[in-house]
Amino acid sequence: MNSPLHRAHATRTVPSPRSGAVLSRRRLLQGSAALATGTAGLASCGGTSAPAGATQIDYWLWDANQLPAYSAAIDLFMQKNPDVFVRVTQLGWDDYWTKLTASFVAEAGPDAFTDHLARYPEFLKLGVISPLDGLGPLDEIPPEQFQEGLQELWTGQDGTRYGIPKDYDTIAVMYDTAMLEEEGLSPDDLQDLDWNPEDGGSFEKMLARLSIDANGVRGDEDGFDPKNVVRYGMAGGGEIDYVGQSSWSPFALSTGWTFTDAETWGTHFNYDDERFVATMDWYFGLVDKGFFPPFGMFGDSSPAQTQVQSGVAALALAGSWMITTFNNMEGMELGIAPLPAGPVGHPVSMFNGLGDSISAQSEKKEEAARLIGFLASDEAQQLIGERAPFFPSTDAGTAAAIESYAAEGLDVTPFTDRVANGETGLFPLVENSASIMTIMQRAFDRCWMREIDGADFAAYNDRVNALFE
Amino acid sequence: MTTTAHPDTEITQRPAASTPRRRFSWGKIAAWGVMVIFLLITLFPFYWMLRTALSSNNALATDPSSLLPVGLNTGGFERVFGMQDVETAISQGGSGASINFWRYLLNSVIVATFITVVQTFSCAMAAYAFSRLRWRGREIVFLIFLGSLMIPQIFTLLPNFILIKNLGLVDTLLGVMLPTLFISSFAIFFLRQFFNNISREVEEAALIDGASKVRVFFTLVLPLSTAPLATLALLTYMTAWNEYFWALMVSYTDQSRVLTVALGVFRAQAPGTGPDWSGLMAATLIAAAPMLILFALFAKKIVNSIGFSGIK
Repeated sequence: MNSPLHRAHATRTVPSPRSGAVLSRRRLLQGSAALATGTAGLASCGGTSAPAGATQIDYWLWDANQLPAYSAAIDLFMQKNPDVFVRVTQLGWDDYWTKLTASFVAEAGPDAFTDHLARYPEFLKLGVISPLDGLGPLDEIPPEQFQEGLQELWTGQDGTRYGIPKDYDTIAVMYDTAMLEEEGLSPDDLQDLDWNPEDGGSFEKMLARLSIDANGVRGDEDGFDPKNVVRYGMAGGGEIDYVGQSSWSPFALSTGWTFTDAETWGTHFNYDDERFVATMDWYFGLVDKGFFPPFGMFGDSSPAQTQVQSGVAALALAGSWMITTFNNMEGMELGIAPLPAGPVGHPVSMFNGLGDSISAQSEKKEEAARLIGFLASDEAQQLIGERAPFFPSTDAGTAAAIESYAAEGLDVTPFTDRVANGETGLFPLVENSASIMTIMQRAFDRCWMREIDGADFAAYNDRVNALFE
Repeated sequence: MTTTAHPDTEITQRPAASTPRRRFSWGKIAAWGVMVIFLLITLFPFYWMLRTALSSNNALATDPSSLLPVGLNTGGFERVFGMQDVETAISQGGSGASINFWRYLLNSVIVATFITVVQTFSCAMAAYAFSRLRWRGREIVFLIFLGSLMIPQIFTLLPNFILIKNLGLVDTLLGVMLPTLFISSFAIFFLRQFFNNISREVEEAALIDGASKVRVFFTLVLPLSTAPLATLALLTYMTAWNEYFWALMVSYTDQSRVLTVALGVFRAQAPGTGPDWSGLMAATLIAAAPMLILFALFAKKIVNSIGFSGIK
């Protein structure tokens, strides 16, 4: 072959053997070796590792807002325990559970981690979390140290503890006091509201008073157009799920209804109870009345605080972990009111809490136990309480948090009173929570979409109860 | 018989014939109008990101439809660059996590650069073997290889993670890079298509002149393939830069955390808290900037080489 193309390329692309551009095999090998060395060097660069002689343990948590408080407590722990170095990893909620689950499968999980009541029964079933009884300093922590009921939530069906309570949360009503003033109302008007599933009581009247349609007609006035609302009485959050922590549960629980047949580890759900049915018909019936946003109007990216701040909702049922977020919203002055009293004669809030668990795979359980034991101590709880945007699990921590909020001019007793008065209902601690979630989410969504009624929950309840047979 | 030319006529006619006439055309105006509208639609999300990034996170909902920043401030960018203290960040609706921005940026650059260089080089060698070397079962192996394109990443996640853990490479940059460092089925397919189009005569001539296969590869095939190699390098860099899930799994501390994972702190930290919108938008703009610059520089080359390699 002797085409012009051949000649041209042959001349340009095949240099003489002495050319410096030639990549010989030796040069190739040298280059590869250099690359491998460089890469290996990169692998070892940086360093967040334990000082010499100290045992390193991994501690994971998801809430970045809690991170500063826990970092301060963990720093204090390391000062007091120089033989232990704690590596803290924080990840957002969704990433946290994905990475935690995958890490357990790969046996690369943390030594200790923040756990959630909706997740720990699954971990317990999988055998990836360790029983805490018999683990050195943890045995010295009495259940009475924590708010009543918290340690029970972290105790398995075998009577063994699988988590040490680290905080708790309750629900109250949050609003903008400036908005209330504009409406000619005062915070006192929200103090002693009541609720019932028949006519909604004074709470529904307040929602009607605060709802406004596009023509400026209020929800309690003639001619109100529920299909064309510019301000809803109550914000619609993304937590309308099988637990309904900051949505429907305060109403259902205040009728005397309970999630299951037992306080913890129930095996029979009561979504077919007539009190629950009536509550669902009332709660989602607020959509038809124009006092509550219809399904799909707001999502995760427009949470309750955003709805209140932008003025499309007047009141929001919100958890205590949201106090700081609400308080920081510009253009609104945060007011906190207690939940409305229900047919049982008083308000009832769901009582939930996070706990610290230890991985069953950890080879440093003693050190991890020392850490989570310290985090539950009065010393650490006070330190956390002073800095935390939530309520620590012990009395000392809670008192520190209340003082800290008071210094900012916030009265948070509508949250803490529920615990102090014993007006709480426990988070439904059960097995099969993931399956229950899947089954019931459809039911709640459909009811919110106004496709089914409260009575239709019975069929879903049967499916849930079948999981326990 | 003589002929006479009329010079004046020629002079006046020539320019008239060679200069395009600019005529008013409704069609052209409509085309420009449509193009401008599409341009605005395309660019508007970027503007909205910038507007949100320059807004106050805590004030955003007071005027969500405002075309201008709401409560103009640079807090979002300050949080991304780790220039805000924790208290200020939380008070502005941000996260309490510390952001070691430059470290994460360096990690991302190292990871993306290494993967790009090594993967492009090794895939070029593999593509050459599939395209030019004759060996038994080549086509079947190639088909199997192509089939691996169909395997979702989630299937290989745990086996890869266990391997990386057993190698002691969890929480290292090498661990972040390794699964994609050497081989990409797409890259091999992409380059093989191009190598197939290189004239065999040129290669045979080099071989007759005494060049080895290795030399042919380095001094003939690679120099002829700069356009597709550049395209592939750019695509690889973008993919490596944007990788999130694997990096999330392997990284535990700052020493191996890349920018995409680090910027996850601007998403919701706890259920119901909502994202730090201004921080998230500032972070997204900053994370996207290197890619936008690279794409602006190499866009033409990409289009050309994609056309050349027959991938349309």
